[in-house]
Amino acid sequence: MATELPSNIKSSDVLTDQTSSKWLPPGLALQKVDERIMTLNVGPQHPGSGHMRLIVQIDGDYIVACDPDPGYVHRGEEKMAEYRNYITNIPHLERPVIHDSCNVLYPYVLGVEELLGIEVPERAKYVRVIASELNRCIYIMYWLAIYGIFLGHSTMFMWPAGDRELLIDLMEKMTGARVTHAHFVPGGVRNDLPPNFEEVCLRQVAYFEKRIKEYAAVFYDNPILIARTQDTGVLSRQDAIRLGTTGSVLRASGVDYDLRQKEPYDVYEELDIHSNVMKEGDSYARSKIPWLDMMESCNIIRQALQKMPKSGSVRVKLKPNPKGKGLNTVYKRVESGRGSLGCYIVSDGKPEPYRVKLSVPSFRNLIALPYLLKGEKLGNMPSVYWSLNYWPVEADR
Amino acid sequence: MIGTATGIIRALNSGIKHLAIKRFTLRYPEEKLKFVGDGYQFDPSTGVGIAGLKGRHLLFHDHCTGCQLCSIACEGVAEAIAMVKVPEEHKQNKKAIMPQIDYGKCVFCGLCVDACPFYALYMTNDYELSSFSKEGLIYTPAQLQVKPYVAQDSEIIITSRGATHG
Ligand code: SF4
Ligand code: SF4
Repeated sequence: MATELPSNIKSSDVLTDQTSSKWLPPGLALQKVDERIMTLNVGPQHPGSGHMRLIVQIDGDYIVACDPDPGYVHRGEEKMAEYRNYITNIPHLERPVIHDSCNVLYPYVLGVEELLGIEVPERAKYVRVIASELNRCIYIMYWLAIYGIFLGHSTMFMWPAGDRELLIDLMEKMTGARVTHAHFVPGGVRNDLPPNFEEVCLRQVAYFEKRIKEYAAVFYDNPILIARTQDTGVLSRQDAIRLGTTGSVLRASGVDYDLRQKEPYDVYEELDIHSNVMKEGDSYARSKIPWLDMMESCNIIRQALQKMPKSGSVRVKLKPNPKGKGLNTVYKRVESGRGSLGCYIVSDGKPEPYRVKLSVPSFRNLIALPYLLKGEKLGNMPSVYWSLNYWPVEADR
Repeated sequence: MIGTATGIIRALNSGIKHLAIKRFTLRYPEEKLKFVGDGYQFDPSTGVGIAGLKGRHLLFHDHCTGCQLCSIACEGVAEAIAMVKVPEEHKQNKKAIMPQIDYGKCVFCGLCVDACPFYALYMTNDYELSSFSKEGLIYTPAQLQVKPYVAQDSEIIITSRGATHG
């Protein structure tokens, strides 16, 4: 130790000898490594990892082990929710996924409605279904654009990023904001649909559907994409269930589980919903399921617009600062753009919730990543990683 | 092999077809989007809002009573509203205080509009709020009183040759 320590640090605080390194937690202690194995840090600044780090160990071109390291964008959403009342929690709870903000808020709003015993008007339920399906498509388009650019397919980045605008425009007319709508509240939605909305919505959704069908020729049936993603990162049906994956990842592995069908909330039971399932469980199937989901969402929007009561209230009036009745807990979950998203709320009779816990699909799908990447080529890592329909900010909350 | 070749030709063909499709991009500063209505408003008697863009606020000095409910609503969201003294006198506003909004903090959720019981605070279609200094983002009650002029000309038009901002 030739260099001098700064005056405010005592030499006894610095780990110098081997014995004190025993204190370190197991992950931080030095490990003996094989000479052939190289450790690669992908991220946290790398555009190919999102706001997270993937610690990948490679032997030549093949991945031996992968250790995902999320947590770089932890914002303490759950703790923040304990200091705000049931209404002012709305704007910040939709921040984890700003492109899918209605769906992120949905389980919270459903839960608070049950806690406070609020009956929601029929029209509001349909408006919520339309908003959440539009949001699902907006999210998937963004996800698809990034999937395209991950694979070096820049056309597939430009097209979804542009066509998303059709639906963002609808959301803007409906809620007054392009992202982070703050539209759902306990008791309904904040405002009624603008005049003429149905007609505009049908027109733009029909064109949107026509556009996404064109993606087949350029992307999904493209032999280059198929060669790169087929049979990479295969997740078997049993593993998908055992690892607790959800949403498009689970359905790509052959498990037909869509919460909109299995546990319908709001008015989903009155709508005819077809869930998309594929058997292969590889990256190709996982990237195709969200695309098929978008077409299903277009169907749902059309059905909802048709069945919706043409007039009526969209929001029940609440008392200011509504309170829960005594000690009470509620758990609600919805099918978001990424999979089942749950919200567990504990109320102790105060205007603020005692505890809000989000159970997010991104985190649950990420668990599968180390198993999928073992034995893959390093070049396939981005496509396998992003096919998990993972959103870093949501996983960190 | 034949399958691969036709697949690639189909993909290229699909791209080439787009040469004939209209441009969808909005040329922003020259063209501006058209919005529904005059901005987000709220009717406290029914408890339901009126659809519109959640942009910069509009404060009606002759309605505001200085009750601070908007400021309390924003406390849990962004703490963007501060109540400040105003020089003018209104008989409904004994304390002569009105909200001042810091757009460096505001997230445009509109919960303050929902909270105002006297129809004094609305939102407008004005979204061009950038400023060179932090102070420039703080809008005093006098600035919030001004009704903005917003140019709106483009909306999405769908033709047989694709969608465009016309
Ligand atoms: S819009 Fe939301 S963040 Fe902005 S001042 Fe009003 S309550 Fe606060
Ligand atoms: S704007 Fe409305 S809520 Fe805010 S102080 Fe004035 S009257 Fe009260």
